[in-house]
Amino acid sequence: MKPFGYVAAKDSGHAVALLAEYGKGAKVLAGGTDLLADLKNSPHPPPDVMVDISRAADLKGIALTDAGLRIGALTTHTEIVDSPLIADTLPALAEAAVVIGAVQTRNLGTIGGNLMTCVPSMDSGPTLLALDAQVTILGPSGRRTIPLSELFVGPRRTSLGFAELLVEIVIPKKNVGKPSAFQKFGLRKGQALALVNAAAGFWGGDGVFAEPAIALGAVAPTVIRAPKAEAWLAGRPISEEAMAEAGRIAATEAKPITDFRASAEYRLDLIAVLVKRALAGAHARVTPNQKDLAS
Amino acid sequence: MAEDLLERAPDVLEKPRAAPVETLRRADEGLRLPAVAPPTTLPLEPPLVPQVGEQTRAVGLRAQRPDSRYHGLGLTRYIDDIALPGMLYAKIKRAGISSARIKRIDVSKAEAMPGVQAVLLGREIPLNLFGTSIVDQPLLVDEIVRHAGDGVAAVAAVTEQIAQAAIDAIEVEYEPLPGVYDPLEALQPDSPKVHGGDTNIYFKKLIRRGDVEKGFAQSYRVYENRYTTPGIEHAPMEPFTSIADWDANGRLTVYASIGRITLARVDLSKTLRIPISRVRVIGTIVGGNFGGKNEIRHEPVLALLSKKAGRPVKGRFTRVEEFIASTIRHPMIMDYKTGVTKEGKILARQIRMVLDGGAYCSFSETTLGKASILAPGPYAIENIHVEGCVVYTNKTTSGSMRGFGAPQVCFAYESQMDEIARDLGIDPIELRMKNFFREGSMSATGQVLHSVKVIESLQNAARKFGWEVRS
Amino acid sequence: MNVTLTVNGELRSASVPPETTLLVLLREHFMLTGAKTGCDIGDCGACTVIVDGKAVNACLMLAAQADGRTVVTIEGLATREGLHPLQQVFEETGALQCGFCGPGVIMTAKALLDENPSPSTQEIRTALAGNLCRCTGYVKMIDGVHEAAKMLQSTETPALAAPQQR
Ligand SMILES: Cc1cc2nc3c(=O)[nH]c(=O)nc-3n(C[C@H](O)[C@H](O)[C@H](O)COP(=O)(O)OP(=O)(O)OC[C@H]3O[C@@H](n4cnc5c(N)ncnc54)[C@H](O)[C@@H]3O)c2cc1C
Ligand code: FES
Ligand code: FES
Repeated sequence: MKPFGYVAAKDSGHAVALLAEYGKGAKVLAGGTDLLADLKNSPHPPPDVMVDISRAADLKGIALTDAGLRIGALTTHTEIVDSPLIADTLPALAEAAVVIGAVQTRNLGTIGGNLMTCVPSMDSGPTLLALDAQVTILGPSGRRTIPLSELFVGPRRTSLGFAELLVEIVIPKKNVGKPSAFQKFGLRKGQALALVNAAAGFWGGDGVFAEPAIALGAVAPTVIRAPKAEAWLAGRPISEEAMAEAGRIAATEAKPITDFRASAEYRLDLIAVLVKRALAGAHARVTPNQKDLAS
Repeated sequence: MAEDLLERAPDVLEKPRAAPVETLRRADEGLRLPAVAPPTTLPLEPPLVPQVGEQTRAVGLRAQRPDSRYHGLGLTRYIDDIALPGMLYAKIKRAGISSARIKRIDVSKAEAMPGVQAVLLGREIPLNLFGTSIVDQPLLVDEIVRHAGDGVAAVAAVTEQIAQAAIDAIEVEYEPLPGVYDPLEALQPDSPKVHGGDTNIYFKKLIRRGDVEKGFAQSYRVYENRYTTPGIEHAPMEPFTSIADWDANGRLTVYASIGRITLARVDLSKTLRIPISRVRVIGTIVGGNFGGKNEIRHEPVLALLSKKAGRPVKGRFTRVEEFIASTIRHPMIMDYKTGVTKEGKILARQIRMVLDGGAYCSFSETTLGKASILAPGPYAIENIHVEGCVVYTNKTTSGSMRGFGAPQVCFAYESQMDEIARDLGIDPIELRMKNFFREGSMSATGQVLHSVKVIESLQNAARKFGWEVRS
Repeated sequence: MNVTLTVNGELRSASVPPETTLLVLLREHFMLTGAKTGCDIGDCGACTVIVDGKAVNACLMLAAQADGRTVVTIEGLATREGLHPLQQVFEETGALQCGFCGPGVIMTAKALLDENPSPSTQEIRTALAGNLCRCTGYVKMIDGVHEAAKMLQSTETPALAAPQQR
């Protein structure tokens, strides 16, 4: 690797201070699974200083708060997989976490790092986007909260500003416990990026698709929602046919590319199938009165 | 930088001696302990190693490798686990362009870098060519780049990091040349010629038996299909790594993860123009070969860097280099024409195949030969015509890989057997049984076969994988 | 910069440039060459070591990030008294051929067995998904992990006294 400097941050405040101090040449290092792999093959100059946040304990943790389900940016994929709270309230996120890379990657890689890489195939993205996650950002001028959809700007580009740090992800209270599911299709079951991934959720206690949400990965410059499919589903009686149709509509909303992993046509087919499966997976998690219990 | 360090007042002088001596002494305990000494000699029974002259039963026993103890302990010394005192690290600059003429190459910035001990260009290599049959592959390209993985310069430096920085600082100006990337296009008269001359074909093979035209005329049906297989990288877990040590006595010792030590010695002696008696090659335990580590790759380059620098030099391929600058399995295009009777007996088979050899010859001759000989499959066929050739393209070199062409043709003929079975409505196993070699059958090349067990093997296999109960 | 960590039960320090990975620290500074460099970008698992109880790719962790932590490498498994059951089973069954992937596979399997003493075949497969082996086809490794799990649970396996916690 090319030479760079290194400082370790004690906590999020310290990290922001360090980022501000070292300016443009500084780069946040969390689990390093994306950043270090990237640096090793990159023709570009390395960052001047790595601001290592991996010891900032306040960036860790999964908890229910007044705002909703809070997941610290530094929470590793393994911690998400192992969390009883996630298993209880948001199993779709564990479904996404458990298929990221391999055990070794999941033990180091963090959810914040995953979102911040902002690659369209990121596995944490669809579920969080479908559940209207908010992200908290800490910067030199304080904290701000934005919808996750506004974090994503383009491939490998987020809306984070100078010396800003992603602190936490919050699933709003209204969506905590919403039946949802995640689907990924890669060339292998382990250690493979998604050709397409998808998450879907809806309240189904009354036999109809209520507040349906569908999000897709690896089919557009960023992770996207499928608003037409959502609108079509809303209020319809739950049926397999409707799930399949929603999948077909969702495919019309994506703009996948052809690359060495798959052709655009293949990805369009995958969207239809994965959305259908994600809806079916969410349906399997529907229980009566779920929504009332949640809020 | 170095001067700054010297001008600065040393830390130790500044430090007030506030802490008690005991604490100070203990502070660096971790540095004082030597590196963890692994338990190299365990007072345990050694693994089962067959003794000389001893007849051991093998079939039905759990196979135990004689080297498995060290594998499990992590103590097997692969080449990359070896470091010689004063060793330097080498890196090779890859062309990154698949067909070009080098107009200018400037290594001055690399040479000027602190820590760089030697820079090498192709023209400094006494015989800058190697190969197992056609000697056509330069170790470092001087003029014409024939594929993106061609090396154009090499550097040895005190660390891998500095060697890489030096490689990045080498400037090369290329004049792009037209290239050919498809083996069928490479056959065309007007295609760019990878090695000049008037053709890209560098080996041909023809095998004939009987009269295929007569066989086709007598056939109930004739099937014509094209099969293609892609290039495949061996991807051994251990990347190519070697250490060259050209000592002050003028003797060269090369430690290499290489499968053919004698061939390596010959190639080193030829390319470096030194007597073979001066070349010692120590083969280390190979971390996966699969045919990809059968010939030299960067060893003469490392040797010359070592000679220039007067220090041992290690070179290790990155995973990327492993894919672009080693060899791969030959991609093949195979046209099969097979005539059969109504009952499924094969009367004639004609095969035309084109092997994509990539930029250089390597083991193409052997591969073409073996593929051609095995192309008709394990079937007794009276009329056979096999015609094959291997062509140059501006791609990664194809070389030896397990089977030397046999898996490619097997994919083709067995795929066609299935298509014939489906079309004739014959059970695919039965179709094969009808045509298999039998004791005393003659192969396409005229070899009379003995100990033919193919029928029993397939019967056995079919029983074991439950062919009877298939849906 | 200086880093100090516990490696196979013993305290170790080194002075390294910041961009040094844990893998380079182990292999080049501590001469613990058991963990291998296969791809250097997290794909192959040949560099797997256990850090604070978790299997990680040493090629994707900075030495600085391992400062103050507890690292176990393949060299830390066997004792003078005996091999770790995984090492023993892998040896006896020929689960390794060229062996290059072995240290990584064994460390991943150890981390698995430490957390899950009797894993299912699927759990073993999932755990080993990040350890590529080009020689074996994995079947004997998976069988071997099952067998080692049984040995570890059986009371007849002699207690493996070792410097680090098991
Ligand atoms: C072998 C392998 C397989 C992989 N497989 C998958 C997969 O299947 N699916 C998938 O989605 N990903 C995969 N990845 C990518 C990667 O592991 C994940 O994206 C991981 O979650 C990244 O997290 P990290 O903590 O390691 O991030 P890092 O590498 O530390 O950082 C990634 C980027 O985010 C920035 N960053 C990190 N945290 C913050 C923060 N809190 N605030 C601001 N910026 C921050 C960094 O500056 C950097 O630019 C794989 C990676 C490898 C090496
Ligand atoms: S060397 Fe670390 S995963 Fe391959
Ligand atoms: S035994 Fe050779 S790579 Fe696994």
